[in-house]
Formats: sequence, C-alpha cells, structure tokens
Amino acid sequence: MAERQKIDARGAFCPGPLMELIAALKHSTIGDEIDVWSSDKGSASDIPAWCAKVGHSVVETSEQDGYWSVVVKKAK
Amino acid sequence: MSIKPLYIMLCSGEHEKIQLAAMVASVAAVSDRPVEVFVTMNALLPFERGLSPKQRYHGGHFHELFMTKNVPDAVELFGQGKMLGELKMWACSMVLDLQHWECDQHLTEDLFDGPMGLAKFLADAESGELITI
Repeated sequence: MAERQKIDARGAFCPGPLMELIAALKHSTIGDEIDVWSSDKGSASDIPAWCAKVGHSVVETSEQDGYWSVVVKKAK
Repeated sequence: MSIKPLYIMLCSGEHEKIQLAAMVASVAAVSDRPVEVFVTMNALLPFERGLSPKQRYHGGHFHELFMTKNVPDAVELFGQGKMLGELKMWACSMVLDLQHWECDQHLTEDLFDGPMGLAKFLADAESGELITI
C-alpha cells in the first residue's frame, strides 16, 4: 500500500532539500508519495523540474507559512 | 536522444568554486547525466585526507556564510552524487606526483576513482560538454 512520507528540510540550502528527496525516493516503492518541506525558494521550481526530467510526478506544490510543500509521487 | 556526459575540470581551491562544482556535479548526476570531475592544481589540496571543514575550506564572503549556515558540505555533496548517480572523480596525476600523494592514502576516503592524466581526461571529454571552474 502506498505511503506518504514527510521530509522536513526547512533551513537547508540548495541543493539540500532536493538531495534529501532523492535519497528518500531511493528507499521508497512506486506509488509512494514524499512531501518535502523546504524554506529554500529555489526548491519550488527545482524539485518539479527535476521530477519532469527523471520521470516522477509532482502531486501538488503549495506555499505554506514561510516554506514550500512539494509532494512528489514515485513513478518508476 | 542520449544525454551528453558532463565533464568538470576543477582547478581552484576556493571554497566558493569547490561548492559550485559540487552542486553542479551532484545535481547533474542525480538527474541521470553521467558526470566526471577532474580535480587539479590547488583544487586537490582541500581533498587531503583527515582535514576538518575549517582546515579544508578557505574563501571569501560566501565561504563565511557556507561555514555558518546550513549549506551542504561540498565533499558530502560529491559523495551523494556518487551514491545516487553516475559520478566519477579523478585526481590529477601531475599534482599527485608533485605532492608525493597516492589517491588511496592521502585523499578523502571513497571519493576518488583514481589518478588520471590531463590528456586522457581531455580525450574523454570530447564525448560530452566540458566546463572549467
């Protein structure tokens, strides 16, 4: 059954949040979702761009109180 | 369409430039692009085995910020690129000779794939894109 995991990468600078996401994806199964919380402004565009390049899906991107939440679904 | 490998020639020992090389190399590697990094001249000195971050890194304004903020460590970024992508690192054989260093004795553990000469690196780099930092 697919799971949703949260990564709190707030306070980490580029490319820390992306690298944390990739490490988590490596240990996930297809269909799992990972919600990355990042205060690094670039993550809101970097993470979707990376997903588009390597073939994972972005479920949603939203701005919260001082940070971004990017939910990624492992697709391969 | 096959992806062209990225070749990075890292020559500078400045923290800011090593940081940029680590960011470019690791992000490209985890984006399914093969990366090879040739570390030469003063850039090899920070990779001496056993150095603390304070001993390893020297630089200017952004170096000071890197050392006090939660910025990923450059050596760790290179390591993550190797672990999560296709990233190879080569130490310049001329610099190793001048320093009387061996890769497996004097450089940071588990980071370098071996020594390499400039001519071999340049020949390999003809198959991809080369940037120099």
